[in-house]
Amino acid sequence: MIEHGLFWGCCLLAALSGVGAATVRNLFHAALLLGLCLLGVAGLYLFLQAWYLACIQVVVYLGGILVLVLFATLFSSDILGQRQVPSRAQQVGGVLAAGLGTAAGLHLLVVTLDHGLRLEQQRGPVHLADTGVGTAGGIGDLLVGSWFAPFLVAGVLLTVALVGAVATVKRYRRPAGGSP
Amino acid sequence: MSSLHADSLTAYLVVATVLFASGLLAIATRRTAIGVLIGIELLLNSAALQFAAYGRFRAGAVDVQGQSSSLFVVVVAAAEAAVVLALFFAVYRTSRDVDLEQTRELRS
Repeated sequence: MIEHGLFWGCCLLAALSGVGAATVRNLFHAALLLGLCLLGVAGLYLFLQAWYLACIQVVVYLGGILVLVLFATLFSSDILGQRQVPSRAQQVGGVLAAGLGTAAGLHLLVVTLDHGLRLEQQRGPVHLADTGVGTAGGIGDLLVGSWFAPFLVAGVLLTVALVGAVATVKRYRRPAGGSP
Repeated sequence: MSSLHADSLTAYLVVATVLFASGLLAIATRRTAIGVLIGIELLLNSAALQFAAYGRFRAGAVDVQGQSSSLFVVVVAAAEAAVVLALFFAVYRTSRDVDLEQTRELRS
């Protein structure tokens, strides 16, 4: 019973703070709500028996990306207290886009109910923990096995992105002693 | 909905759908680059959650490919955040503003 409570708590936390991050006016509060949402998704990963993924979610997203976003929010301090008011066209476009996204997701749900859940009822969910594949060792075996090429590509992508990011920021640095 | 019980594929997909719609809403309505970045992060999280959920509930096959796909989504998100924030600082240095409606150029 307590597991069900935790599961629905994680679901509500992820969904509500996700909606809040998209709609709340203050951008700093939106970034903090994004952190709550990431935490809820990490909890859902635990329920999916993806232990390693949950750790990565907390370390990379909460520890890395969220800190970067918060830093950027605080860096441009003039927008901290400023309220973000979308224009009328943006509001209409946003509601249309969100409606389209929801419709696509609902369609996905219907398709899943038709196909996936029937199989799920026949055999039940696969318990990944029984075979140890949700752990770091299981994922590591796969990454250096059949997923070796994507693993290398991801490494190259990260390197290129980080070097490019540093180069972009350096390029626009003002010369020392130059006029602002 | 009879199939919406705890720890079911449908529950995960409902959460992922809500996150996806929120991300689209944020991308379409935010005026600042940081708000759009938050929307993109929501979209990527929705995708990663769906990968992991489908990987778990794939009947009769014990593999971890769904989780590995989620891992790659996280890698892409990290790279994207680094590049977007570098661009953000470049734009902020030239125009002292990150309003996407006003920003027209990267170079001063």
